[in-house]
Amino acid sequence: MSDEDVSAAAPPPLPPVSVVRRGRWSAGLIWLVPVVAALIGIGMVIHNWASEGPVIEISFITAEGLEAGKTQVKYKEVVIGLVDSIRLAGDNTHVVVRVNLSKDAAGFATADARYWVVRPRFGTSGVSGIGTLLSGAYIGADNGESHEVKKSFIGLERPPAVIHGSPGKRFTLLANDIGSLDIGSPVYYRRIQVGRLVSYELDRDGRQMHVDIFVDAPYDRFVTVSSRFWNASGVDLNLDAGGLKLNTQSLATVVAGGLAFATPPGPRDTAPAADNAQFTLFDDMQGAFAPPDGEPEYLQMRFEQSLRGLSVGAQVDFRGIVVGKVASVRLDYDVDKQAFPLIVGVVIYPQRFGRAGEKIAQLVPRGSDDDNARLAHLIEPMVARGLRAQARTGNLLTGQLYIALDFLPNATKIAFDPAARPVELPTTPGSFDRLQEQMTGIVEKIDKLPLEAIGRHLDSTIAQLDKALRQVNEATLPQFNATLAGAQGTLGSAQKAISTDAPLQQNLAQTLAEMQRAARSLRALTDYLGIHPESLLRGKPADPALRDAPEKDAKGNKP
Amino acid sequence: MTYPELVICEYCDSVWCRSELGDHEIARCGRCRAVLYRASRADIDQLLALTLAAAIVFVIANASPVIRIAVSGMHNEANLLQSIAALSHGSGLIVGLVAAATLFVVPLLQIVLLGWVLVFARARRRAPGFAFAMRWLHRIRPWSMTEVFLLGVLVAIVKLSGMLSVIAGPGAWATAILTVLITLIAQHDVRTLWEPLSARVAVELRE
Repeated sequence: MSDEDVSAAAPPPLPPVSVVRRGRWSAGLIWLVPVVAALIGIGMVIHNWASEGPVIEISFITAEGLEAGKTQVKYKEVVIGLVDSIRLAGDNTHVVVRVNLSKDAAGFATADARYWVVRPRFGTSGVSGIGTLLSGAYIGADNGESHEVKKSFIGLERPPAVIHGSPGKRFTLLANDIGSLDIGSPVYYRRIQVGRLVSYELDRDGRQMHVDIFVDAPYDRFVTVSSRFWNASGVDLNLDAGGLKLNTQSLATVVAGGLAFATPPGPRDTAPAADNAQFTLFDDMQGAFAPPDGEPEYLQMRFEQSLRGLSVGAQVDFRGIVVGKVASVRLDYDVDKQAFPLIVGVVIYPQRFGRAGEKIAQLVPRGSDDDNARLAHLIEPMVARGLRAQARTGNLLTGQLYIALDFLPNATKIAFDPAARPVELPTTPGSFDRLQEQMTGIVEKIDKLPLEAIGRHLDSTIAQLDKALRQVNEATLPQFNATLAGAQGTLGSAQKAISTDAPLQQNLAQTLAEMQRAARSLRALTDYLGIHPESLLRGKPADPALRDAPEKDAKGNKP
Repeated sequence: MTYPELVICEYCDSVWCRSELGDHEIARCGRCRAVLYRASRADIDQLLALTLAAAIVFVIANASPVIRIAVSGMHNEANLLQSIAALSHGSGLIVGLVAAATLFVVPLLQIVLLGWVLVFARARRRAPGFAFAMRWLHRIRPWSMTEVFLLGVLVAIVKLSGMLSVIAGPGAWATAILTVLITLIAQHDVRTLWEPLSARVAVELRE
């Protein structure tokens, strides 16, 4: 439309546009924009590339809680990587987690790095990983000292008890069994926790457990070369002469198990034990503190009587000291005697004899290599002096037996065979057994008594006695009554004869008076004779002079 | 009948006579000082630079995470395409498709088509499918909504920051720059591309 208008009216010359010159710089400068953008982009790429660390693969049994692109790998709660992908392994037995480690965590792609999944765990030894309830699981990492690059790892199924580089020492304990211990079980020293169980594994030949523990610094210096370790799990209940004793480390150990160690009292080598030192793990504290037993010697005994109450493990006692234990109780058959003797095998710890053992050992030359021969040499003279084994009753209530070794002075001589293998120690029936035998003998004798005959005789005797008594009653007693009446009459007349007015009595009194007089005359006579003994020969002298008359009168009057 | 030697100011409707421009020169309206046209070479250069920058920023904006949220150890981050993919699951499919179209496809087309046209124009050649590209550039221009997305991200950051710790990722910054760049590109009058070529064609025809 407008075009037509313009063309219809001849257009006037139009003013030209005004041309303005722009600054030269602006046109070139505009290229800075894409350059800057490109630089930023390249910078980001380079940054990404530079911060990209090694890529490793970790295999786990399960990928529970792990999420590709989200789950982090942390060391000491610092993020060092991110899970990139999770896939099943070829044989579907485990999962392979691919992790992008950050650049500065390249040290975690080395041979002795360890990885595990941190999840909430509720165990007897406590609760861990609570934080992951909210944040989700993450992969924990721990590196070692190796510089050998490794890209593929087998993840631990539970967190390691000890992070690399923790101050402390690691020790190995040799145990017979693991008991109720587990990884992470506490190690106590004076009832405070100073470490934990790190790992355990069975010997190659399956005979012993190797238990690795870690003791934190500064407590590791309390582990000395003479320290003893024992299993402090459960409850140690002791009933002895001292009463009932209950020993536990802590309530947690009762449930979850634990270890304890201590250095036995007394002068000991208190040098701290070296890292990775080996110790024996004892079953209980008493065992740990007992002096070392040394190599046991094996002895055999042969008992003829029943050993009910003797169990394997029963004590072998020498003068009150437990020197060994029963190792086996077996039944044997003696063809000649057609008897069933019991063969008891015992182990004796010579070191438990203390100084006695040392002294005796010195008496026997160490010539022969054969331990058995040496033992036989040692025992032979003792057997000659009456060394015997006895099964004695340890507990009257339960009937538990123990083996006692003792010197019996009146023991019957027994031929000792020093060549027997193992050495056989002669036995003698136990004191209780002998008592039993004696009782049996007495009972047998009582049994042999002719009780029936005696009874019969007694019966007839009693019948005869009865007859005799009846005779006494019927015949003898009436006569006895008559005799008694006669006696009574006699007594009455006797009484009459001695009454005060009886003539006999009066006669007697006169007689006595006469006798009194006679005695007085006799006394006068003897007095006179005492003064005048010559009168016996010369007769009575004439009367003395007058001067002496009163005296004479007195004397003369008297008779 | 055409008057290729005349130019009308689109703001005040005055008619001016076209004159040749040297490098770095702008033709302005003598009455209202509005820019009528630019030296084509410089104009194309400028637009191409911006388009190139937009292309680079577009890649960054789509490759790097836009937003990162974290709460008590858990964290998550996503870039534009991941968030679109997350939206498309289930009932949000239509919303996801719209978002994909307005945030990804349209800006991408804008940049690619413009780049395509400009590269050839700079070599003083008409690009294959020039008319098609120019038509579509014009049609899709209202559907580019990068700035809406940016606003959405900003609102999300402000709203979420009360509950979670929210960090704007490099993608958000790149999206902001991309918004500016696309606005700059879009405000350029692409129609001017027709003119020098058509003028030259006319000259060639005349000769």
